[in-house]
Amino acid sequence: MDAQRVATEGVIDREIRIRARPETVFSFWTDPTKMARWMGRDVRLDPRPGGELRIDYNGSDIAVGAFVEVEPPRRIVLTWGWEAPGDATPPGASRVEVDFVPDGDETILRLRHTGLVAEAVEGHSEGWDHFLRELVEAAGG
Amino acid sequence: MMDATLQALADPRRRQILALVRGRELAAGQIASQFDVTRPAISQHLTVLRNAGLISERRAGTRRLYRARPSGIAELRAWLEEFWDDGLARLQRAAEQEEASGRTTGGD
Repeated sequence: MDAQRVATEGVIDREIRIRARPETVFSFWTDPTKMARWMGRDVRLDPRPGGELRIDYNGSDIAVGAFVEVEPPRRIVLTWGWEAPGDATPPGASRVEVDFVPDGDETILRLRHTGLVAEAVEGHSEGWDHFLRELVEAAGG
Repeated sequence: MMDATLQALADPRRRQILALVRGRELAAGQIASQFDVTRPAISQHLTVLRNAGLISERRAGTRRLYRARPSGIAELRAWLEEFWDDGLARLQRAAEQEEASGRTTGGD
């Protein structure tokens, strides 16, 4: 097995160009009404460090998390998990980092989701459990 | 199917078992010897992992041999990637729509 593959197994990286200014794109992560236009059916959030986030997708799939960093209009970091008992990604277990990079009147959005369960399966089980505990504490759980 | 995968992976011991049989085949007894729990408990974990499609089972004489199925993890990863791809595509449309309407009305 190859080390680099192991290290990146539990990470999802995405980059997308949006024809809107960072201020506009950023507001779709911090205004619950706007967020519901692209993610979830019912969104409740408090966009400041330590503030909670709850996204109800369909009445049974509910994502919960907490904001860790809120730096308008450049960067947002939040914890991410699913509310359902026994889910492999419980609240606080994973972390989503979003960077909004201006490019003229447009924005390059970079999203990195780390701490996913695939990472734990790649032989990092102890590290995962430690990470999970730390994040739950950091989230005030 | 995805529920079974997520439920199977929610248990730390099952994640340890899965890591153990990644890239190599081990007998149930060899797996059990790595943990300080009863053999039936390990068998139960192996059943859950097998039902979730995360490991395969093969019989060799009287022994049962287990190995991780990379495709089981790949399915979970694909599900999460699709989750973000769909979400970000919708975000792109909504933000561009808002920006365009802001420009035509001449203000925020």
